[in-house]
Amino acid sequence: MSFNINEVSSGMLSAVKGAVAEDWPEVKSTAEQFLQNKKERLVLLAELRIKGELSQAKFESRLLDEKLILEAELNALAILSKAIAQNAANAALEILGKAVNAAISAAL
Amino acid sequence: MIFALIFGVAAFNSCRVQFIPAYDAKIAEQIDVTAKAVDKFYLGILATTTAENGGRAFDKFAEQYVDIEVELNSLLNKNKIRPLNENSTRICEITIQLWQKYKQEHKDDNTLSDGLIKLNNKTFSDLFYAMQVAEKGKALVNNPPE
Repeated sequence: MSFNINEVSSGMLSAVKGAVAEDWPEVKSTAEQFLQNKKERLVLLAELRIKGELSQAKFESRLLDEKLILEAELNALAILSKAIAQNAANAALEILGKAVNAAISAAL
Repeated sequence: MIFALIFGVAAFNSCRVQFIPAYDAKIAEQIDVTAKAVDKFYLGILATTTAENGGRAFDKFAEQYVDIEVELNSLLNKNKIRPLNENSTRICEITIQLWQKYKQEHKDDNTLSDGLIKLNNKTFSDLFYAMQVAEKGKALVNNPPE
């Protein structure tokens, strides 16, 4: 039975690298957009406080809301990360599966 | 021995991991429709009313608040019943929490300033964007399990 673990490991690593590299820009651009959105909200919030449209208590309450919005954004980024991890893991498993199948076929 | 090997090959071929649910076009569509309804709600208040003389009294908008909350609750339930979907579920819960909070503020103050309308609209627009990113993330998965 011919099964070279070094060759298979190297193939799996390349598959993981390829999958992550392909999807990573999606995470980066989304994180940048979240930051831009946060900046725009904070500018609006500061303007409302300065103009007196928001009391100090409501201003502080809105700042607490920012924590919840950040949590929502981190949950969205978590899904992107999980999608990348899923693609990478399955790409690696596919390489391993093919190598094992080839070795089994040779043995049969 | 041969049967065991053949069984092993078959098992390996079907071995895939899954961390997130598959993309659901219907949920993505409902997120888009609800996001537009919220945007229309706030832009409508801004364009057609003023805070003078009780023009933005809560009662005038109570029904629209309920209609949108119903859509948000529906989205939450659809997200909740899907396995591996805790991230999207949490985004929905946060959106509903803030929707109810800002609705209560409007009810307590019985008015809404232009600035708060813009801030509330921006907040929900950004939360719907997070929901859309989450759904789009599920579409990134190559060859999702059926």
